[in-house]
Amino acid sequence: MARYIILRLFHTVIVLVGISLIVFITVRLTGNPVAAMLHSGTPSKQAIAQLTAALGLNKPLLVQYYIFLKGAVMLNFGTSYATGQPVMQMIMSRMGATAELAVGGIIVGLVLAFPVGIASALWRGTFIDLFGRSFALLGISFPNYWLGTMLILIFSVWLHVLPVAGNSGFISLILPSVTLGLILAGILARLVRSSMLDVLQAQYLTTAHAKGLRWWRVTMFHALRNALLPTITMVGLQFGGLLGGIVILEQVFAWPGVGQLVIQAINQRDYPVVQGVVLFLAFLMVMVNLLTDLSYAFVDPRVRLGGDR
Amino acid sequence: MRKKPWFTMLALTTTATFLLAGCGSTTTTSGNSGNSTGSNSTGAGSSSATSKPAVNNNTLVIADGLGDPQSFDPISTFTIAWGEIANNIFDGLVYRGPDLKIQPGLATSWKYTDPKTLEFTLRQGVKFQDGEPFNAQAVKYTFDRLLADQKSPQLSNYTSIQSVQVVDSTHVIFHLKSVDPVLITKLAGYGGMIVPPQYIQKHGETYFATHPIGTGAYQVVSYKPGSSVTLKANPSYWRGAPKIQNVDIKFVPDANTRMSMMQAGSVDIVEAVPPAQASLVKNDANFNLDAVGSPTVSEIRFDVTKKYLNNQDVRQALNYAIDKNAIIQKILNGYGKPISTFQGAQSFGNDPSLQPYPYDPQKAQQLLQKAGVPKGTTLTLDYDGSDSTFAEVAQAVQEELQQVGINLKLQPEDTNTFYNQLIPQGKAGDMHEFGWGGWTLDFDNTAELLYSKGQFWNPDFSNPQITALLNQERSTNDQNVRQQAFFKMDKLLQQLAIEVPLYQQETIWAVRNNIQGWTTPPDERMDLWDVSFSN
Repeated sequence: MARYIILRLFHTVIVLVGISLIVFITVRLTGNPVAAMLHSGTPSKQAIAQLTAALGLNKPLLVQYYIFLKGAVMLNFGTSYATGQPVMQMIMSRMGATAELAVGGIIVGLVLAFPVGIASALWRGTFIDLFGRSFALLGISFPNYWLGTMLILIFSVWLHVLPVAGNSGFISLILPSVTLGLILAGILARLVRSSMLDVLQAQYLTTAHAKGLRWWRVTMFHALRNALLPTITMVGLQFGGLLGGIVILEQVFAWPGVGQLVIQAINQRDYPVVQGVVLFLAFLMVMVNLLTDLSYAFVDPRVRLGGDR
Repeated sequence: MRKKPWFTMLALTTTATFLLAGCGSTTTTSGNSGNSTGSNSTGAGSSSATSKPAVNNNTLVIADGLGDPQSFDPISTFTIAWGEIANNIFDGLVYRGPDLKIQPGLATSWKYTDPKTLEFTLRQGVKFQDGEPFNAQAVKYTFDRLLADQKSPQLSNYTSIQSVQVVDSTHVIFHLKSVDPVLITKLAGYGGMIVPPQYIQKHGETYFATHPIGTGAYQVVSYKPGSSVTLKANPSYWRGAPKIQNVDIKFVPDANTRMSMMQAGSVDIVEAVPPAQASLVKNDANFNLDAVGSPTVSEIRFDVTKKYLNNQDVRQALNYAIDKNAIIQKILNGYGKPISTFQGAQSFGNDPSLQPYPYDPQKAQQLLQKAGVPKGTTLTLDYDGSDSTFAEVAQAVQEELQQVGINLKLQPEDTNTFYNQLIPQGKAGDMHEFGWGGWTLDFDNTAELLYSKGQFWNPDFSNPQITALLNQERSTNDQNVRQQAFFKMDKLLQQLAIEVPLYQQETIWAVRNNIQGWTTPPDERMDLWDVSFSN
């Protein structure tokens, strides 16, 4: 197990170096950011050359990459062109809001997916199942910015019960979490349903029934525990998609998270911030994948990691 | 187990029905919900924000469409988003309000003792918001700090300043390297804002960028990056204490969300209403619609080195062939104004008597024939592919040029490649889009960078007469002389027709109708000092 984790961490480093190279090159393919930075000023050719030099953008690409990588190893992604603040500090100050949204979305997703998925499986082929499957399909089909806008229209503009946007405590978290959660729930409900169906037909459940256990005990403790396994994996796998959804939703709900930061940075060609945020999110993704694999082994003792005998 | 196909079909149909029902009711209801929402918003009172105008007249809530300024330090910013808020926090030596006239600010008067020596008399008894006194030292500190910061995007605006000399506590002298007739205007914005020396030396620059202190009407109470900035009135402001105690400026990048906030009654002022949603404001009894010409102008520029376009007749023909008024009416929904040269009406140097080329396709055809341009000639137009408004403009232009026998090939480009590589290298097609918002509202800036050869965005065009007029305008502080030079230049530029000036954009604001003392700023820099609620 320990060997496995070390090996995976080593892989992580390789993946992150690869990603850093891709981000570094792709942001630079969009050209010199200096003219865009000076757009509202009066950029003469000399001014542009001067600022380019001050930012170190006239150095050879390899040198620039070396400086960037050296900093990144020390968790220093440089300072933002737009704010002059350390990028790491900017990410950290925004990370809380993004994490809140991610957790809120996952909770809403799980809370909705399990009852719907379980009910669908237990009453397979009935109207309940039809409802459950339609719900799942709806969840998957909705683009999240559209769903977000509709929820704002209903709950804020018509019913006046929730704030439209911004971050004023728990109440502002509801709409974006539900938007994110509904989409996740669509994916998860289908999964819960199908794995419940698999498990419900398994022999050990017949045995459990035969032993005289009540149906809800069988469902909750035997079937559900086994259905949990693929669901956890799925949440882990969906994490990337979840982050993507968050980036868009943070725009719609004016939510002050990392997603909003990176969109603003891309618009302004704030290279250090774009590089920092992408690398940071990539790191997060890799870590979540690792944790997913570990928790897999934890939930299901049959799963052995890393070929330990 | 195999799935039954009819079952899936049924599920799909049900879904589709729900979806369609949802969409249908949404569009119809939102269209005329203006009035009902309006009456609800004052009556509901369920959320604190909704009942605000009646209950809390001390907080003004603004939905800011430009977003987070990110740094409040005047020398490390380059965004209009900064100017719109920071205008209330900081003061410059001179002040330019919503009427765009330059007035005394922290300086009560100024005079040029010679063209390169500028003397200011400072206002007495002014304090920064933390109590630090404002004086000549603060002025010197502000500009020393700016001129020493090689990374400052503001540096290039102030390079005509050689040094600032303190005479006594209320007098400073600016020694200039070169004559700079636009300097006074520049002192009313951005890097010219006076900052507190002791405060910055004590807390550091990084702290100052998020916890700014100035001499302005409002003081920052809290700044939540990406979310909002909260201001409170500065009771000892030198113009007198502002009337509204608290201002809550929320950064809302998404236009639909801003409109929802207006409909939910949770804001008092909404910036940057999309033209397509202007009717929502018009139908809402609680809000007034204010459309104001912004400094941002749009044009199509010709590459004068290309075949056919090196001929003045052809360039004039294309000016006649494009119907600017139709574009403004149909694509901007009327929220724009025609322009005769590449500058807005408020810009110094704009000649109001000069009329844009009229729409005259017949004359265009004659001129093209005279120049020997065969029917069916193909020209290319490059534009910023992320600019959806211009994409529509380009299609309209394509259709209009078709009428005079020119095939226009549209070439959308990546924003940054377009502005930073294609245009500077003269590779942006036969003609290209160009947009501009000059914050100094003085044609000097635009003219120098677009008509003086070898500038970043002007690799090829030059004309000795234009160059001479530019030199004349730049070398004197006499505004009359400068204006005459600009007027001559405007006429000449129009004759040369190196571009098709299209329109000056308008920004649409929604302002709650119980707000008094508000002037919608043409340059988006809000002045909240005199604003109050009427009840």
